[in-house]
Amino acid sequence: MSSKVTPLLILAILAILLSACSPTSAQEQELVHVRLPVGYIPNVQFAPLYVAVDKGYYREAGIEIEFDYSFETDATTLVGANELQFAVVSGEQVLLARAQGLPVVYVMTWYEDYPVAVAAKAEQNIQQPADLAGKRIGLPGLYGANYIGLRALLDTAGLSESDVTLDSIGFTQVESLAADRDEAVAIYTANEPVQLRAQGFDIDVIPVSDYVELASNGLISNETTIQENPDLVRRMVEATQKGIVYTAENPDESYEISKKYVEALAQADETAQKETLDISISLWQTEPPGQIDPQSWENMHQVLLDMGLLKQPVDLEKAYTNEFVE
Amino acid sequence: MDAATAKNVTRMSLRSLRSQALLLVIFSLGVGLLAWYLLARYGGIQPYMLPSPASVWDRFLVSLSDGTLLRNTAYTLSEVLAGLALGVATASTLGYILAKSRPLEQLLAPFIVASQSVPIVAIAPLLILWLGSGVLPKVLICTLIVFFPVLINTIVGLRTVPPDLRDLMRSLQATRWQTFAKLEVPAAMPVLLGGVRIGATLSVIGAVVGEFVAADRGLGFLINQARGVYDTSLVFVAVFTLIFMALTLYGLVVLIETRLLSWQTRAEGTVWAHK
Repeated sequence: MSSKVTPLLILAILAILLSACSPTSAQEQELVHVRLPVGYIPNVQFAPLYVAVDKGYYREAGIEIEFDYSFETDATTLVGANELQFAVVSGEQVLLARAQGLPVVYVMTWYEDYPVAVAAKAEQNIQQPADLAGKRIGLPGLYGANYIGLRALLDTAGLSESDVTLDSIGFTQVESLAADRDEAVAIYTANEPVQLRAQGFDIDVIPVSDYVELASNGLISNETTIQENPDLVRRMVEATQKGIVYTAENPDESYEISKKYVEALAQADETAQKETLDISISLWQTEPPGQIDPQSWENMHQVLLDMGLLKQPVDLEKAYTNEFVE
Repeated sequence: MDAATAKNVTRMSLRSLRSQALLLVIFSLGVGLLAWYLLARYGGIQPYMLPSPASVWDRFLVSLSDGTLLRNTAYTLSEVLAGLALGVATASTLGYILAKSRPLEQLLAPFIVASQSVPIVAIAPLLILWLGSGVLPKVLICTLIVFFPVLINTIVGLRTVPPDLRDLMRSLQATRWQTFAKLEVPAAMPVLLGGVRIGATLSVIGAVVGEFVAADRGLGFLINQARGVYDTSLVFVAVFTLIFMALTLYGLVVLIETRLLSWQTRAEGTVWAHK
């Protein structure tokens, strides 16, 4: 009886092994659905993510991506609560969130340079942070990356908020500068300068990153995901990095791919949008790719403490990790 | 039953109804608070998602003592009151004119309906763009949001004036002003004040929408700022303050309504006593 059973048993084991080795079925079964908030509307700046989906980098990593364009504070809260596993947010969000007990962890740098700058019409002759003294500066509000970047920039020149007039204008920096309502505006380096120049204005731009290195946009996860599913974090980081590298090497093709994901891009001013992508690419270059620079986190930490947004120091060692990019 | 007894009976039943209503409000608030506490304490929800009533209360006391809450509340309230006053004044004036002229109403109807159908949150950034970042666009947003219910109620109120009363005024050879002051205003007042009641609560929403878009003061700004530093308790404090503000304004309008329309109650009481 045992001689009849043994071949059957071997066949059954072989069948199981074969089905397990079948690449398509395995990948389909193992695909992890990830809703990825990116903190802004669909935009060409997210080309690496679109490329990573389009080229199948995420799928190869066993991940199915669904883009989410909600606010980064909401995204950070959901990641902290482990409702979501990942989000793309700015570095300061991690420190502010951790100060309130949200166990979020920064796992990969996307932007080497903090993407905020101050722009002014050339006639204002604002060439360096010290020139901002006494000026009226427009910014979306007294919160978020624009505010933090501006405060850090003022600080490099020994200026404080009382040395300038801050004007909360929502996201109307281009119009406010164009209409001379403000003498300078805090903006995203890759966005508003391109729009202002496209409208024919001669402007000067002072990037924050020229004066101070701050923890910038990157990928975050949470302590639970890192502890329970480090492999997922590694695969997510690797696939995203592939997208970043490919986009940096192939900006034109990446721009075309982005059109599939950004509805308005096909009708948009191609020269301006490509310039936005080019400037964005120049802000990404990290060596090695995705590596987190501890000094930029120290700087950001200090800026937030000086601003009073952090009441107490935060344990930086828990706020970020290079474990997944090394 | 004589008139005095009837009046006493009415007063007593009103008083008992009021105390019953108050008890119900206290009970429902208590149940809500208990449910919130239990959810925050045992629901497995992190405090940054849902803070406990105690931590919100603590945050309230801190923001009250350091002046943050009062400063921002005063700013929002000033926008709300200015917007409400402007909205009621313009809407009731235009409402009166339109109630008198159907062709004019038909002519302006598309614009009026369109102004109401556009989400205020969509036009708020445009108003900031056109009028700058000061208090004016926020007041205007409040005005716009208050405008429609007050306008419609004014028209409806004036059109529901009984024709036989108009005939009576005419037979008494009343002047236009007398008809307006002695008949139209009192007759339209209940419906008009109904519109103001709605407008009072809506204007709070209008101010917050404006402050969400661009502001450096006000309760909408405070919510944005608190969200920016993940201070969910402070978000709750600001939200509750807004609710309190809306309820207070609503209550004030009801109080004004009671005072202005006391003649109606008296008249009804008299009619009832004579039955």
